Amino acid sequence: MKFSLNFLKQFVEIKVSAKELADKFTSAGLEIENLKKISEDWVFDAEVTTNRYDWLSILGIAQEAAAVLGKNIKINYPKIKIKPGLTEISISAEDKKDCPYYLARVIEGIKVAPSPDWLKKLVVNCGMASVNNIVDITNYCMLKWGNPLHAFDKDKIEGDICIRRAKDKEEFVGIDQKRRVLSKENLIIADSKKTIALAGVIGAKNTEVTSSTENIFLEAAKFSPITVRRSRRHLGLDTESSYRFERRVSEFFLDYASQEAADLIEELAKGKFSGFKKIGKKTEKQPKDITIGLAKMKNYLGTDFKINKVKKILKTLNFKIQKSTTDKIKVKPALSRFDIEKEVDVYEEFARIYGYGRIKAKIPFLKKSQKDFSLLGREEKFWEFKNKIRSFVSLSGFSEIITYSIESKEELSLFTEESGLELKNPLRRQEDSLRPVLSLGMIKVVKHNLNRGKSNLNIFEIADVYQKNKNSLKEKPFLSLGISGEKTRFFLLKGQVLAILNYLNIKSVQFKESKKKSFSNALEVVVKGEVVGFLGKINKKEKEKFGLKEDLFISELDLRLLEKYKRDKKFKPFSRFPAVWRDISLAIEEKIKFKEVRRIIEKEGQYLADLAVIDSYQSQELPPGYFAFTLRIFYQSKQKTLNSNEVDSYHNNIRKKLDKKTGIILR
Amino acid sequence: MYLSYKNKIMAAEIKTIKSNFQKDLENAESRESLKKLKIKYLGRKSKISELFSNIPNLPKQERGYWGKELNILKNQISSVIEARLAGKSQKEEKIDLTYPARLPDQGSNHILSSVTNDICLIFKELGFNIISGNEVEDEWHNFSALNIPLEHPSRDAFDTFYLDLPEKNQKSGSWLLRSHTSPSQIRMMQKLNPPLAVVSPGRVYRPDVVDATHSFMFYQIEGFAVGENLSFADLKGTLLYFAKQFFSQEVQLRFRPHFFPFTEPSAEVDVSCVICAGSQAEGGGRCSVCKGKGWLEILGCGMIHPNVLEACGIDSKKYQGFAFGMGVDRIVMQKYQINDIRLFYENDLNFLKQFPI
Repeated sequence: MKFSLNFLKQFVEIKVSAKELADKFTSAGLEIENLKKISEDWVFDAEVTTNRYDWLSILGIAQEAAAVLGKNIKINYPKIKIKPGLTEISISAEDKKDCPYYLARVIEGIKVAPSPDWLKKLVVNCGMASVNNIVDITNYCMLKWGNPLHAFDKDKIEGDICIRRAKDKEEFVGIDQKRRVLSKENLIIADSKKTIALAGVIGAKNTEVTSSTENIFLEAAKFSPITVRRSRRHLGLDTESSYRFERRVSEFFLDYASQEAADLIEELAKGKFSGFKKIGKKTEKQPKDITIGLAKMKNYLGTDFKINKVKKILKTLNFKIQKSTTDKIKVKPALSRFDIEKEVDVYEEFARIYGYGRIKAKIPFLKKSQKDFSLLGREEKFWEFKNKIRSFVSLSGFSEIITYSIESKEELSLFTEESGLELKNPLRRQEDSLRPVLSLGMIKVVKHNLNRGKSNLNIFEIADVYQKNKNSLKEKPFLSLGISGEKTRFFLLKGQVLAILNYLNIKSVQFKESKKKSFSNALEVVVKGEVVGFLGKINKKEKEKFGLKEDLFISELDLRLLEKYKRDKKFKPFSRFPAVWRDISLAIEEKIKFKEVRRIIEKEGQYLADLAVIDSYQSQELPPGYFAFTLRIFYQSKQKTLNSNEVDSYHNNIRKKLDKKTGIILR
Repeated sequence: MYLSYKNKIMAAEIKTIKSNFQKDLENAESRESLKKLKIKYLGRKSKISELFSNIPNLPKQERGYWGKELNILKNQISSVIEARLAGKSQKEEKIDLTYPARLPDQGSNHILSSVTNDICLIFKELGFNIISGNEVEDEWHNFSALNIPLEHPSRDAFDTFYLDLPEKNQKSGSWLLRSHTSPSQIRMMQKLNPPLAVVSPGRVYRPDVVDATHSFMFYQIEGFAVGENLSFADLKGTLLYFAKQFFSQEVQLRFRPHFFPFTEPSAEVDVSCVICAGSQAEGGGRCSVCKGKGWLEILGCGMIHPNVLEACGIDSKKYQGFAFGMGVDRIVMQKYQINDIRLFYENDLNFLKQFPI
């Protein structure tokens, strides 16, 4: 909302500078976003919050200026003339809910001309274009009173006027020259032959005031805010008029706005008022009295003040003090203040003029209900749990990413059989569904970074996935891990998953080979018979489709399940005697799994403490289909220091057993 | 003692060895050359060794004498070399200190999640509990319970993604992706009895076309406290504590009256510019962060509207409280001078790694 300082000065005495006034407005809640000097005037550009219809009028802002400056506002109300009555045109409204109140004034024998300078300047400085004297007068009155008006060329109206809903697919050309197709959503003003305005939004081209117009039909009305809102949204249109109607227009000033416009037309366009008609009636109730208790108000705002101060401030805001005692005040809000309904609304009115800055900050001592402690504790523990996982994984060398929860249905279907949850109003097809998996976001981030020369990535994300279950929906926090690079990095991922499970002290974990859409070599992670997640490699087809420059291994884990199975750690005594190691180099045939080697060693190893692959390689010297690696086996006793001969004998025993197995070659 | 001819040769050899060794020793600077010297004079193929092997050819009565002499020589040379070596080994090896550092494999927490945590933990210090809410919500929790009527312009600030899922019942209305974190406040107030104080961080969604300052997904933190005597002054104190802990002890806050359907009185809160500290507020300075205004808007807050308390089954005559909500993305952008919101969701490692752990 733009308004001019000179316009304001007609109603309230302003002696402070424009800058000072702007600061006062801002700190009272009428935020001035821009202030500009135009010749002898200042233009304020204000952000008007949706509750303040009254600030969409100069009089409303003048009232605010009076409050912040501690002054009174003076308004000259025009004398209402309702005679002679208008007889030649009848007016009807199809639905009173859409249009409860409608006023028409006819002014005849006018002369359309450019506006006088003072009018032109005020209209332009309030952000509107100057068109001609008639249009400028309607805009001037709208700006002043807050009530949008519309002037029709009376001679172009054929027959009677009806306020009704548009017919489906009816065409409409507005004064902005644009052609629009209407529907039942649109409330219109029609004469006996045609549509002459989109009610509360814009007038039609066919009855526009032009330089040859001689007689004016002046409309002032109350239209339903919701009807105007739907109507203009349906057409994707937003006008000064609809903006005000949507925020609710006060009926109390409607007569004045209409009368003043008629008077000005008579005066400036040399016309003669010749007819008045109204239909419907004012339905708005006067604001209700509100009683505020001083003690409660002080307790609410957390500060101390005198009752006289409260009265003084409320008076400058045009509240009527109906009654007051030492600790109670009964007030009636101003006519235009529909937003004041409760005590707290009055508290705010006082506080914003008193100054939020004058309320001293104090740090509260927050109490908690004993009753709900366990639920709060449980929920907060889970938040902490997620953070612990986040730190653990990032300290393991992974970088956290945050990817969009909304992805394309088509791409998501590559990774899951589940039908994702679709949006009714997506912005684009690429983002039309909530994701049931995190892998897709991971793939896109890996691709982005590989394309920028990075390699061997370690990244992770913690986010919710959404799983549809018949007609309900489950939202589950998941962890995804992604590792890119050559094929043995799969085991780095497996190790990371194990490290997390170890960290949470989750025992008896099984990795089960399984099938997973768009993955090859997938493993399910199973704890106590329940699948808590998976890991696997993105298969060749999808790798190519997404243009990944390296292999990508992904794991997804259900964090609620991990939390369910996590156990507190307990100290386990360990051997105080030194461990000794011996290496074995061996090659195994492809069809023999490592777990077979492990089984043989574990069966034989009496003092076996640990084993690790320390090297692996492929060699020309091996028979085809064999894979070679070096194992380091650690021996340790809980009772004694093992001597070299003992270890050698255990170790040789293992060597012999491995040697016997076909498909294993010792090297 | 009379020396035979052979012995004269022997004596001369020893003398030569001694003088050669002296010369060689002078030139032997490094450990390496000392080790070479050791091999030259004491090794299997050395002159001394050759002379030792020649002893049997000497007259019997002189063999003992020359054996001793050679041993003395050998020991002398050996001890001189060892002493030198010992001297040398005191010195540390010199390495090229300009060689590039080897960084540990370090990961990183996303700046949005680490700042979200930092903020939540500040409120935890004041006694708030931290609880993550759900992102999928219904109309009642996202709007109606928050005193945001259907078909009201105040909804324009909350354009929302709706989900293709049948509604639970008429009251709950359509399913949607929450457009702010405030529904968590509603859920907590429905579930829990006052007094209570909760902060709830998380993702929120609005159908905004992505550009440098808009994203259809972003992060918010909601906080609220309900009790019998919590006041606007407590709200101010809570937020001031937060701002001082989060930005710096020097920052100031400015509370500007504003309108939110779910709070009354409501305020928007500005923090004194973290870059120019408000020094450019007067005189139209050119601070690129606050655009010379001296203040940065960081959050919205207010006293919880009685209608909201009542919607959650809390007696608004007995209880009152405050609530606040802030956009994490914007705060991070201000604090770290990040000029494009898309950087958060692009996840380029060159960006992520700038904010380790």
